[in-house]
Amino acid sequence: MSILLNHETRAVVQGITGRIGSVQTAWMLEYGTKLVAGVTPGRGGERVQGLPVYDDVYAAVEKHGANATVLFVPAPFIRDAVLEAIDAGIKLVVAIPEHVPLHDVLRMKSAAEKNNVWLLGPNTPGIISPGIGKLGIMPGNMFMRGQVGIISRSGTLSYEMAGLLKEVGLGQSTMVGVGGDPVVGSRMVKILQEFEADPETEAVIIVGEIGGNAEEEAAAFIREMKKPVVAYIAGRTAPAGRRMGHAGAIISKGQGTVESKIKALEKAGAMVAFKPSDAARLTRECL
Amino acid sequence: MKLLEYQGKNLFAKYGLPVPRGKVAEDPQEAEEAAAQLGERVVLKAQVPVGGRGKAGGIKYISHPQQLFAEAEALFRMDIGGFPVEKILVEEWLEAVKEIYMGLLVDADTGDIVFLFSPEGGVNIEAVAASRPEKVFRLAVDPLAPPPLYRLRAFLRQGGFQGKILEELTKIAARLLQLFFAKELLIGEINPLAILPDQRVLALDAKVEVDDNALFRQEFEKKFWEEQDLLEKEARHIGVTYVKLNGSVGVIGSGAGLAMATMDMLEERGYAPANFLETGGGITEDLMYNALKLVCKNSQVAGVVINLYGGVNPIEKGAKGIVRFVRETQSPPPIVVKALGNKQEECWETLREGGVTVVTSVKTEDAVDSIIKLINSRKEKGANLGGEEVNRDEHTA
Repeated sequence: MSILLNHETRAVVQGITGRIGSVQTAWMLEYGTKLVAGVTPGRGGERVQGLPVYDDVYAAVEKHGANATVLFVPAPFIRDAVLEAIDAGIKLVVAIPEHVPLHDVLRMKSAAEKNNVWLLGPNTPGIISPGIGKLGIMPGNMFMRGQVGIISRSGTLSYEMAGLLKEVGLGQSTMVGVGGDPVVGSRMVKILQEFEADPETEAVIIVGEIGGNAEEEAAAFIREMKKPVVAYIAGRTAPAGRRMGHAGAIISKGQGTVESKIKALEKAGAMVAFKPSDAARLTRECL
Repeated sequence: MKLLEYQGKNLFAKYGLPVPRGKVAEDPQEAEEAAAQLGERVVLKAQVPVGGRGKAGGIKYISHPQQLFAEAEALFRMDIGGFPVEKILVEEWLEAVKEIYMGLLVDADTGDIVFLFSPEGGVNIEAVAASRPEKVFRLAVDPLAPPPLYRLRAFLRQGGFQGKILEELTKIAARLLQLFFAKELLIGEINPLAILPDQRVLALDAKVEVDDNALFRQEFEKKFWEEQDLLEKEARHIGVTYVKLNGSVGVIGSGAGLAMATMDMLEERGYAPANFLETGGGITEDLMYNALKLVCKNSQVAGVVINLYGGVNPIEKGAKGIVRFVRETQSPPPIVVKALGNKQEECWETLREGGVTVVTSVKTEDAVDSIIKLINSRKEKGANLGGEEVNRDEHTA
């Protein structure tokens, strides 16, 4: 098994006719992902990378039983695209773009919560269940099927973590990118709960960053978990008060520091690594 | 992006939030003219985008018009939190009988919009929140269903208000809410919201932060303030995020997390990063070339470590930009590139042909060790040749 993205997943690509949407669709198909259609308003009837394109998500759901979506819609338009997908009954929504207005994120998140939808992102690399498929922009060659779950706030670091796991002979059940924005669609703790319940996953790695309190909140659940949790938090050397690229990576008034996160995680029984390669080694040791 | 106080107050006024009479001045002369229209007693407030202005001496209360010119002059000479005072707001001096706090903001911890309200506002609101949290009231606001007037009234009544004042506060709260959503604010805060002896309620300060990501569809007064650091300003034009730091090793990452991890590992080895630079997902040959050029403009930079993943980014194109920079630059600093992911082989080949050191390991610490080694061997050579470092500084200056 895997979490959220499995053999039942039938995904549409919203924004498939765009430059990035079309290139990434090719990569996702090459990886073996079950994509059933694309959606771009005004482009219904066309084909991209062999997939039929529809004008709306409703049509893709009706004709192909789509139950997931990955969005390459430009940030200014993504709110309505996500709300449409949720309204059409899609239960897994992967919102890739960065620079989405915060008020749009708040509305998307509110709608997702009311409809029990998994919203990943925005500003996420997406989700990959190696050997099954990927909805996102991660390079497939870094990942390998296995028993470690990864939850990451950073795209690039999740690739690095997967590559480091491969070096010690471990693969992933699923890697979930929650997104790098200050407000994201799904809470880290909820994904942790999925991994705890997943029979294939034997250990979980959290790749965190400075800012916010997702790691602290996750710690409360880690205390109750049976599976080992290893964490790495980036940004020890980041200056306070400055936004470090990811809008979410900012330390304010002593909250969201690496120290506060490490303290919370260690207190809950997680192993905290000093660098990503240590996290891979620690995971190897506890399996 | 934070608005200056006067810009926030202009916005408040537009949305029907009551503010004191006032005018912006750009020199002491203008300040005097503005004061002449406002009356004998005025307040001069330095307009800088940082907190703690009052404690830094950036607010002057003027009770005699003859003091005004000299006080204004002194303000214009000040530098508060690194920001020179270019504008001051001249306002009527109002005495409050009570100071209230009212603020709408996005709680990044929970992802909720919260309406905060305290009958004990003023400069010590943070102390009140810490020592007597029961005096700060919170109302979670659903962006899909903002609270109606009656809900706001019941919320504000907790502060111990009734009658006319409660009605006035409710109106102000509703307008603040309207402004918050209409202009997509990250923060809309009034502290203090003052009750005057004549029972009027006025916003004596305005703290407004707008969402950079929403600027494509929101109009604000054009010039807020310039970035302090010229390199950070240039970075915005190139399309990357750059934060200047104090060390000597330049860092470029194709993601924020990766760039931060690279910085952390440099520190661990005893080498401080010269900067943080994140390319985002839009790498092109030009972007990479410009990013590298930008990093090397900092004369402290003795070497650059570049850490890339080909996911959404075409690293094979980025490689061309790196090679072009090395070719076009006279004695460039040592550069190490770690690049993995889609089209990694093509990327490595381009870099190697261009004479750039490539790290193919997945461990970022290997790239960090490699750049440190190169920097140190360059230093030794430099010492032997008598000052290669100096030459490099000349062309990067």
